[in-house]
Amino acid sequence: MSELIQLPSYKEQSPEVSARFEALHKRPVKLKVEGLSKTFHTSKGSVNVLKSIDLNVYRREFVSVIGPSGCGKSTLIRMLAGLETLSGGRFLLNDKEVSGPSADRGMVFQGYTLFPWLSVKKNVMFGLEVNGRSGTAVEQEALQWIELVGLARFADAYPSQLSGGMKQRVAIARALATQPEVLFMDEPFGALDPHTRSQMQAYLLQIWKNVDVTIMFVTHDLDEAIYLSDRILVLKANPGEIHEFIEVPVPRPRTPEQFLSPEFLSVKQHLEELIHPVSSNDDEPTDLPIVRMTSASDNVE
Amino acid sequence: MKSEEIAAKTSSPWFAIRKDLDSKQRLILSCFSFLLPILIWVIVSYTPFIWHPDVKLQLSADRTDVTTIYSAGDRLSKEFYPSFVEAIQSDNAEILAAREQGEVDGSASRIRRANLKVMRHITPVVTANGWLTRDEVKDESLYGVWQKLAEGSLEQKRVQLSAENMEIIKRNWALMSERSEVFDSKLLPETPLEKLVPQGKPSNPSYLPSPHEVVVKGIQDFTAEADGNNPSLFQRYRHSLRIVFLGFLFAALVGVPLGVICGTFDFFSKLFEPFIDFFRYMPAPAFSTLLVAVFLANDAPKIALVFVGTFFQLVLVVANTTRQLDASLLEAAQTLGANKSTQIRRVILPGILPDLFNDLRILLGWAWTWLVIAELIGVKSGLTEFMDTQGRFRNFDSVFPVIILIGVSGFVTDQILSSLRKYLFPWTPESSSKKHGFIGRFIYWLLDRKVYDSPLNGKV
Repeated sequence: MSELIQLPSYKEQSPEVSARFEALHKRPVKLKVEGLSKTFHTSKGSVNVLKSIDLNVYRREFVSVIGPSGCGKSTLIRMLAGLETLSGGRFLLNDKEVSGPSADRGMVFQGYTLFPWLSVKKNVMFGLEVNGRSGTAVEQEALQWIELVGLARFADAYPSQLSGGMKQRVAIARALATQPEVLFMDEPFGALDPHTRSQMQAYLLQIWKNVDVTIMFVTHDLDEAIYLSDRILVLKANPGEIHEFIEVPVPRPRTPEQFLSPEFLSVKQHLEELIHPVSSNDDEPTDLPIVRMTSASDNVE
Repeated sequence: MKSEEIAAKTSSPWFAIRKDLDSKQRLILSCFSFLLPILIWVIVSYTPFIWHPDVKLQLSADRTDVTTIYSAGDRLSKEFYPSFVEAIQSDNAEILAAREQGEVDGSASRIRRANLKVMRHITPVVTANGWLTRDEVKDESLYGVWQKLAEGSLEQKRVQLSAENMEIIKRNWALMSERSEVFDSKLLPETPLEKLVPQGKPSNPSYLPSPHEVVVKGIQDFTAEADGNNPSLFQRYRHSLRIVFLGFLFAALVGVPLGVICGTFDFFSKLFEPFIDFFRYMPAPAFSTLLVAVFLANDAPKIALVFVGTFFQLVLVVANTTRQLDASLLEAAQTLGANKSTQIRRVILPGILPDLFNDLRILLGWAWTWLVIAELIGVKSGLTEFMDTQGRFRNFDSVFPVIILIGVSGFVTDQILSSLRKYLFPWTPESSSKKHGFIGRFIYWLLDRKVYDSPLNGKV
């Protein structure tokens, strides 16, 4: 690369985008996090994983959480989903303090976590039945959710008969079926191959468009975060603190062509700088020591 | 030619490192794994020059002045047998020498009694050749056999009398027929008769009966009717099965819930498991006398022993299986709104079921291993009593069929249960990868008929 393209600042927003963010901030606050912190106590002493996290997530917003490994991004949404205890602070859902896991906060895990002994339909019905509903209405509703994720043909299949992407779509349908206020997704596409992954991203955007749900999405893939989100929460490690909460200037509706748009690239460049600063990898040499293992005449490069 | 080459290439090589053989090859090898031990048994049993350290007597004799008595069917070591034969031959030489010199000592009645014994010694050969049945053997009929043998009118099928013995029979019959053509205890010769010389054939020790003996004896034993205090083998078998299955059932009834609770709640795990872990190192048979004292006679202490032998292992295995369940399934259930009891009922129980089934299958095998020891305590019973009694009399041809029966029962139960697994738990990956046979598809259809009237094929 001889010449670098001059990118606009990631803070520059087109009028449409800035109007959208203005409207978004006027929506009711779905999730309010105040001074959240987490300390793990191990035999080697206590580790401060998250420190004084404050943030607001608005209704029907799509927020991604990224950060270097060990920054506690998974811990953060697991705490919000009620799967981890809080060491400090509190969070409010619709202005009410909540604790413990519950159906109003759904979760999609990286490992699918479908119940292998239940068919796709029964998996989706699980949440509805657990919340005290029964009868044919539940079955019809489950089938609607399955249709929404495009798996109507597989309603009676067992999870072991599905591919990874299909399993994750069932998991999304199952989480959405209980109609949670917020859907947490913990690196849901991390185990999928690149092709399936981009397909799943497109599916997720469609689903999100059709369902009234607020999504908090943990990932370590920068493209994924930019492509999907309204705002990106960037965390830094040791201890996990908010580095920056970025408004993504890429206009909606999003398409894969936007991956090469100036707005997209400027956000990506900024995220790269935040997460992989040039000075941070001092202990790892950038160049390997040169030891030639080829014959002298072999000049491929 | 070419197609053959291709066919040869598609079957996997027999010796490849860490590569699976194809199903046909596996079947062949599985058959061989059973055939090989049987083949070794057959070779050792029916090849006289392999091993055969003993001589099994077909015809025995009493030695003068020696109290040790061998009878037909007894086994003597190869080293001792010739000296036994020589001793009888020298006895005969003395008799002949004394007869020639006319120095016969003892009263006429005593000699007649000794001669009667000699005459009776032929009995094993008579019954083995089927000249007389066991019930027909009387002094009168034996006398007739001697006559026919001397005249050469009997066919020797099973046991061939040696030329030496035939000579003796002819010489003795000459003396016997001189006195009387038919049996009369008063009219037996009053000169001593020569003894029949022992005969035998090479044989393995009594603890390794040959296959046909085991089969014949097994059929005999299993078809024998019950009489009085002696139940038939099938009654004994039922009795033994009852002990194994009841012991196992009780262990499972108490152990499975306890194991699941220990695997679910760390509280119960730490409360119960350390002691159970300690207790299982105490061998169950060590409690046999205690169990008899507590549960008294009959089957109760035996069932209790199977219980003790299985229960503690079962709790630990089930607890471990429960802990193996993917914890994220429980987290997923919680985020869907499942409370504690729902998590246990609707996630833990169905989730561990296939593995639990497998555990119980393996532990049923454990229960089988306690059977014999359990039946020995208190009043001996069931198959074990039969084996114990027959073993004491060294009737190992009766013991082997029972040992094999126990093995086959355990093995067949296990095979049935493990093949049932894929029909009971159709969601497990191994069940969808294996092809179902005709019967399998039928069972599948019986168990999960709903698969066929789903909304997808419009049958609702």
